[in-house]
Amino acid sequence: MSVTVKEIKTLARLSKLDFDDEKCKGFLGEFDEIIEFANTINDAVVGDTESLKEVGGNEIALENLREDIVCESLPNEKIVSNVEAEGGFFPVKRVVK
Amino acid sequence: MKDVISTLSKKLQNKELSSVELTKAYISVIEKQNGAINAYVNTTFDTALKQAEYADKLIKEGNAMPLTGIPMTLKDNIATDGLLTTCCSKILRGFKPYYDATAYKKLKEQGAVLLGKTNMDEFAMGSTSETSVYGAPKNPRNLSRVTGGSSGGGAAAVCANLAAYALGSDTGGSVRQPAAFCGVVGFKPTYGAVSRYGLIAYGSSLDQIGPITHSVSDAAVVYDAIRGIDKMDMTSCETPSSPTKLDGQVKGLKIGIAKEFFEGLNPEISSAVNCAVSAYQKAGAEIIEVSIPDLKTALPVYYIIACAEASSNLGRYDGIRYGYRAENYSSVDEMIIKTRTEGFGKEVQKRIMLGTYVLSSGYFDAYYKKACILRERIKGEFKKAFEKCDLLFAPTAPNTAFKLGFSGGNAIETYLSDVSTVPVNVCGLPAISIPCGTDKKGLPIGLQIIGGKFADGKVLFAAYFAEKEGLCTLPEIEGGVKI
Amino acid sequence: MKYELVSGLETHVELATATKIFCSCTTAFGGSPNTHCCPVCTGQPGALPVLNKKVVEFGIRAGLATHCKINTITHLDRKNYCYPDLPKAYQISQFDKPLCENGYVELESGKRIGITRIHIEEDAGKLVHERGFTFVDYNRGGVPLIEIVSEPDISSVEEAVEYVEKLQLIMRYISVSDCKMQEGSMRCDVNISIRPEGSKILGTRTEIKNMNSLSFMERAMKFEFERQSELLNGGGEVEQATMRFDEQTGETYVMRTKEDAQDYRYFPEPDILTVTIPQKKVDEIRADLPELPVEKLKRYTVELGINHATAKLLYKYKKVCDWFEGALKNGASAKHTANLVVGTIYSTLATEEDKEKFDIKVTSAEMAKLVKLVDEGKINITLAQMTLIKMLENGGEVESYLSAEDLAGVDESELEKLCMQAIEANPQAVADFKEGKEKAIFALYGFIKRATQGKADVKKADGIIRKLIK
Repeated sequence: MSVTVKEIKTLARLSKLDFDDEKCKGFLGEFDEIIEFANTINDAVVGDTESLKEVGGNEIALENLREDIVCESLPNEKIVSNVEAEGGFFPVKRVVK
Repeated sequence: MKDVISTLSKKLQNKELSSVELTKAYISVIEKQNGAINAYVNTTFDTALKQAEYADKLIKEGNAMPLTGIPMTLKDNIATDGLLTTCCSKILRGFKPYYDATAYKKLKEQGAVLLGKTNMDEFAMGSTSETSVYGAPKNPRNLSRVTGGSSGGGAAAVCANLAAYALGSDTGGSVRQPAAFCGVVGFKPTYGAVSRYGLIAYGSSLDQIGPITHSVSDAAVVYDAIRGIDKMDMTSCETPSSPTKLDGQVKGLKIGIAKEFFEGLNPEISSAVNCAVSAYQKAGAEIIEVSIPDLKTALPVYYIIACAEASSNLGRYDGIRYGYRAENYSSVDEMIIKTRTEGFGKEVQKRIMLGTYVLSSGYFDAYYKKACILRERIKGEFKKAFEKCDLLFAPTAPNTAFKLGFSGGNAIETYLSDVSTVPVNVCGLPAISIPCGTDKKGLPIGLQIIGGKFADGKVLFAAYFAEKEGLCTLPEIEGGVKI
Repeated sequence: MKYELVSGLETHVELATATKIFCSCTTAFGGSPNTHCCPVCTGQPGALPVLNKKVVEFGIRAGLATHCKINTITHLDRKNYCYPDLPKAYQISQFDKPLCENGYVELESGKRIGITRIHIEEDAGKLVHERGFTFVDYNRGGVPLIEIVSEPDISSVEEAVEYVEKLQLIMRYISVSDCKMQEGSMRCDVNISIRPEGSKILGTRTEIKNMNSLSFMERAMKFEFERQSELLNGGGEVEQATMRFDEQTGETYVMRTKEDAQDYRYFPEPDILTVTIPQKKVDEIRADLPELPVEKLKRYTVELGINHATAKLLYKYKKVCDWFEGALKNGASAKHTANLVVGTIYSTLATEEDKEKFDIKVTSAEMAKLVKLVDEGKINITLAQMTLIKMLENGGEVESYLSAEDLAGVDESELEKLCMQAIEANPQAVADFKEGKEKAIFALYGFIKRATQGKADVKKADGIIRKLIK
């Protein structure tokens, strides 16, 4: 089974990545290779009665969850410290040419 | 293997040496050597000197702890307040978190000294550290070889004595494999034993912080300092009893050998591992044959789960709150797409695409769901094995350090080199890699000791035997700080 | 052809917890932008979610109040989609193991609207579009929500509105949310399809997103029903789509069609452990539930003997009920209290919101004192109303508004004298009454009320007048 350009484009749209036609062409072979590798899980026989177990299999009892007590939030200067903030907001100019 | 931490700690507490002097010594070797090795991607010398002064104060006041005043490094995916943390990716260019990872916070509380952030594969996705935006670090034992990855910079820094120890992260072998390639010790604790808070996620259900050190006892000291339940990480847990009291007794220890780890293995590696096993046997350990039938399946299971989680974890890099933002766009959506396309490297984009694929409707059951079911089955197989034995001995990697540039054209072969390390992450187990010999070219070979869940102490305990017996001593690299 | 409406609602309700669902930041509404934030709720790399216990407890409460089954093993899932108001590019929600399943909400008619599921999840931040910029504020990001998904059991716009009102009332009764649609603490997505009357087959549905007022919802549903009917009548087909309602034009328009539908790639949230809920805890929460709206209405009418219309005006507002029941506890009679609330107090509370807040100067204890005077015949209802109005304006104690004379009432002999005077002053009315015009006696009542400033007991006066006229 090999992946089509159309599928690559759909995956790229969902992944918020740009795969133009040229990049797609180069990527197809590589992606086929990795899918083929992923397909090797089928070398193991899976019984279809097994259900999807929880990740890590770990559980926590309700009473051990975090209590609903407010802690002070961080100052705005910190929250926006990695951008050029405006009025405390994270700004994005809608069009930049 | 030298106990660098306890040796230095003694010197500091006996006032033979101040932490500031020690830190300056490290700074000077880093300045000389890092150009060739490329272990550090950002140095934090100002912070280090301030922390060293604080450490000296603690020592003077008689409040020293085992790691007080000892200079170390953190992998570039561990958040440090006000200090660059980039995951060696363009997309986190200039990013300075405003909080500390819990593991770093705990080290700071002991008065540790942070020399800088070390090189890694971009977002920890790789086995050679070559996908770093800063270029690959080089193996101090042979500069034409890779360090392994993804915590390659940390392993190289420790190997070349450019740091007393390093914290790395291990999602599929990223602490153990570079430790093996560089001939140092790398310990991956039980999943959750060390808080992941502040560790920038790759595969959340697999990621675990662990120490890279010169010796097993060093690893135990660092592990003891950073482990413990953390209210900021729901998946964190308490592992029983401190492992720092090591005595090297292995009489009666039941060592399991699962043949699946050795099938088709390079004979050089196989014989180095077997040699180590015999030494344990001679000292009174019992060898037991066990089987993990689905061991090889762990590899695709790992890639499917890790990439699925990564595709989701890496969605947040959109240029809005931190890091790189693209220029020239005609909508916010276009800005996000351009930022991600320009900001992520090729391997990261490939893994995001794979992760999206295995989670997308129509493929979810065939890949992600099936991988989760198999994961539970493999966990069961390990559990069964540990009913018969205390620990499993295996190679860390099926090969020694690749030549630089090899993995670029050999993607799948590189993936396959993780075959012995990923099952441990898939099952959330503790495991250590210690040097157990060299190949013909003089490149180090790693012995991997794997324990059952929460058997972290037992793993360290057994590894200490090899160290005490001097099973493998590698030459010290010139140019680093002399201990 | 005549069509009937088939509709199901997805209702988002913000929970009234103190902290957010995954961090300890406040959930307070408003605030300067990005000041109720931390590494967790702004999606900082490396930050991890830590689940708030109260969110799960409130979710269970909501489930029990809507007759749901509680899943005692529940986990959270990631719903992946990228949008600037979602800082992690995924919303932590629940997919295949929601907290609650299979409940219902009962309408006035007795019809039950099925609840498919209730799950817990996080809210997104807010975007402000201005001057060619998009400004992002994450204060609301991570505020806990429950999403209540109904079965497609709703068959008219009126039913949809009533269903939402009933949900609102239940959530307020159990104190899990204030459900203020104007502040966005309650929002609905409406799924609509139509089918020929009597048909059992479901038509293609469209979904109108994010209705934040009942009147908009009503208008949107009516418009969408008409639009779909016209489409089918014209030989067309309804296309599955997600719609928005334009409040200005009153029309719905397509936001996205099936082709570019989202693929949310749900998978179990690896950062949050599976939560186990002991059955004992569920039982405790059930035992702790207050009287629910349906039960209260029944009690007011059947047990307390309040007429249905009045009872309905009372039970709509939780605070009113609490206050009303407080007065009863202090010994006031239900009937007089209810009538004074609905007749007198409500006339001073203009809007729904005023009634909801029920911020009045009269305590239920003072109210009880006043009503008891009526109950004991010391003052009549008219004087009670007049006094209550003054108390609503200025607060204080009942005693300070009523003189000893007011409270003394009018004694028997005095009343008899007044009745004689009334008869003398109204010869025409007396004559009319004698001819059988019962209502003519009202003129005499009026005379007595005026003469005593409403103090006299009209019932007693009635008896005396009838005796005297005979």
